[in-house]
Amino acid sequence: MSRVLTIALNEGRALLRNRTAVISAALFLLLSLMAILNAWDQFRYAQGLRQTYQSEANQTFDAQPDRHPHRMVHYGHFVFRPLNPMAAFDPGVDAFTGQMLYLEGHRQNSANFSDTRQNTSLVRFGQLTPAFCLQVLAPLLLIFLGFGVIARERENGTLVLCLTQGVTGPQMFWGKALCLAVVAGLILLPALVSLGWLATQAMLGWGLTLAILTGYVLYLLIWTMGIVLVSRFARRGREALLGLIALWAFFCVFVPRIAPDLIAHARPLLTQMETDIRIHKELKAMGDSHNPDDPYFNAFRQKVLKSYGVSRVEDLPVNYKGLLALEGERMTSALFKAYADRNFGQQHAQTRLMDGVGLLAPVLAVQRVSMSGAGTDLSAYQAFLEQGEAYRFGLVQHLNQLQATALTYADDTNKARENRISHDHWTNYPDFVFRPPAMAERLERLSPALGVLALWCGVLLGLGQWSALRLERLMK
Amino acid sequence: MTEMQQGDQSAILRLKAVSAGYGRRTILNDLSLEVSRGEIFALLGGNGAGKSTTLRVLLGFLKPSAGEVTLAGQDVVADPAAARAHVAYVAENVALYEHLSARENLAYLLTLAGVTAEASRIEGALEAVGLGVAARGQRLSGYSKGMRQKTAIALAVAREVPVLLLDEPTSGLDPRAISEFHDLLDVLRARGTAILMVTHDLLGATQVADRIGFLSEGRLTQVADKSEDRSFDINRLYQAYQTAQPGQVA
Repeated sequence: MSRVLTIALNEGRALLRNRTAVISAALFLLLSLMAILNAWDQFRYAQGLRQTYQSEANQTFDAQPDRHPHRMVHYGHFVFRPLNPMAAFDPGVDAFTGQMLYLEGHRQNSANFSDTRQNTSLVRFGQLTPAFCLQVLAPLLLIFLGFGVIARERENGTLVLCLTQGVTGPQMFWGKALCLAVVAGLILLPALVSLGWLATQAMLGWGLTLAILTGYVLYLLIWTMGIVLVSRFARRGREALLGLIALWAFFCVFVPRIAPDLIAHARPLLTQMETDIRIHKELKAMGDSHNPDDPYFNAFRQKVLKSYGVSRVEDLPVNYKGLLALEGERMTSALFKAYADRNFGQQHAQTRLMDGVGLLAPVLAVQRVSMSGAGTDLSAYQAFLEQGEAYRFGLVQHLNQLQATALTYADDTNKARENRISHDHWTNYPDFVFRPPAMAERLERLSPALGVLALWCGVLLGLGQWSALRLERLMK
Repeated sequence: MTEMQQGDQSAILRLKAVSAGYGRRTILNDLSLEVSRGEIFALLGGNGAGKSTTLRVLLGFLKPSAGEVTLAGQDVVADPAAARAHVAYVAENVALYEHLSARENLAYLLTLAGVTAEASRIEGALEAVGLGVAARGQRLSGYSKGMRQKTAIALAVAREVPVLLLDEPTSGLDPRAISEFHDLLDVLRARGTAILMVTHDLLGATQVADRIGFLSEGRLTQVADKSEDRSFDINRLYQAYQTAQPGQVA
């Protein structure tokens, strides 16, 4: 048996015989199990609720009687984002962004301008999920189990004893690191089982499952190496413990809390109220289709009349009111889209900055890998909003088109007529189906963070070997 | 009493004109010392005389700035790890693993030393040092210092190393434990082990050592040889010990 393995096994035996270590590990595993069961239970409840409400919303929309198409435009429709089973592993921003959109003519869902996304990292801290257990609690457990791996040997004098048996510095260092890495693997195990199972439920694909798994393996390896390194440089176990707790507090509590605030300050988003006020002002400036003297809509009318070669709207082969509705919707949607794009652009700038901070704090990088892989990150939510908006625009313009073609201008301006069209027009309109971002796109999004974790690992492994080669200097 | 130990062809532990220190501070100053098989050499000296530094140099943890250091013919400076295969070291606080029993400590440390950790070898070594059978399976956290020391010596016995380095071995031991420890050293001497014992205990040294060296400011100032001074003249030795203390004039 190699010395590295012998040292690792002895360290493992020491941990197994340490009641505090065994109790802490058992508590952590229990906590992980609770987190998994709790997350799955919540997922099933939420999924059932969403399916019920989506089904009700579809039935209610489809059950609308024959109506004027514009009334259907304003009747509105609810769409729900189907719950991703991976949200039970890492809910990401899902719990705070909302998963429902109200689709109505002339307005875009205000979720696109919600404030919550500015503070997601802050709010997320503290949720008991398998991802939280691995990102925040697992390093803490590893610290408690591993702070003394070398410092205590040095403090007790057993380091010199081992070295006088012919053990080299690297053998001692990597033996300790191997033991702690195995412990990290055991810590990872329950969450990994849940990850594998949820990934199968979510039909996540092996690529993304493997990417998430790699992210967490690298993350815990970073902590493992960090712990052994600090233990290597500390004179006493207590010094190592205090130093490591300080590092944990900095990397797992302070940076994830402070970074979003600093980034929000550096790349500020408009608040929902500011956005609403600005949009309202621009809408007013845009023109009023009901005002016969409105310059824009006067010009629009002239353009339509010219294109059809007629002089009056009454002579048009289509319902001019429908054309007005189409144009109005196009204009307001373009305005909303501009604001939404600007907002998303700013949020992506924030995300890029956050990725940059991930270079300093691996927990941010692993959060990115985990959320992007699970499909619970901001981009996945943005995809839902964009698809929802596209569906809304398509539905509203479909109804406006019906107004333009299925009703005549004369009838539509005659208040004595009901001007209803068949409900088949919306009953047969396809339901909203959300398509989550493709695997390649998600892999591309999480790759830089995975690279950051690999870089941290590489640097720490190199530093580990460098310090291991100099371990005997401690005996001077 | 000789001024300096003369070269000995049978010496298994050898320091020749060794100077060593930390940074610019020189601790060992042209130190020469030899210990032969089956010999116990007690190295005495005041605080800061260089006793612990001598052990660090012998263990290869501190590279001397000048001189030669060999253990069983192995150059310690050139290959410290190889030289350590010939030496066992027992620190003052008898460092061993608290979570392991004496048997497990030996098994683990023998494996690290590359020695087959057979049960018969372990039991034989523990038997040789007189550690009770009932205690052998108990964790060290319940051991007295004397029992720990026996376990540490048992490791040296089991490894069959030719050189044993002891750092203040009797510190904190009661008289009975000291007496048992001396008996143990006699056993090792009879087995041919060369023992270098760093100590403050002059009386204990006179009881067990074959030679006693006095270290002052990194030099071996005097060496008393039991073969010349059959029962050691304690008064003369005490005087030599006193003059070896820092600030004293020889």
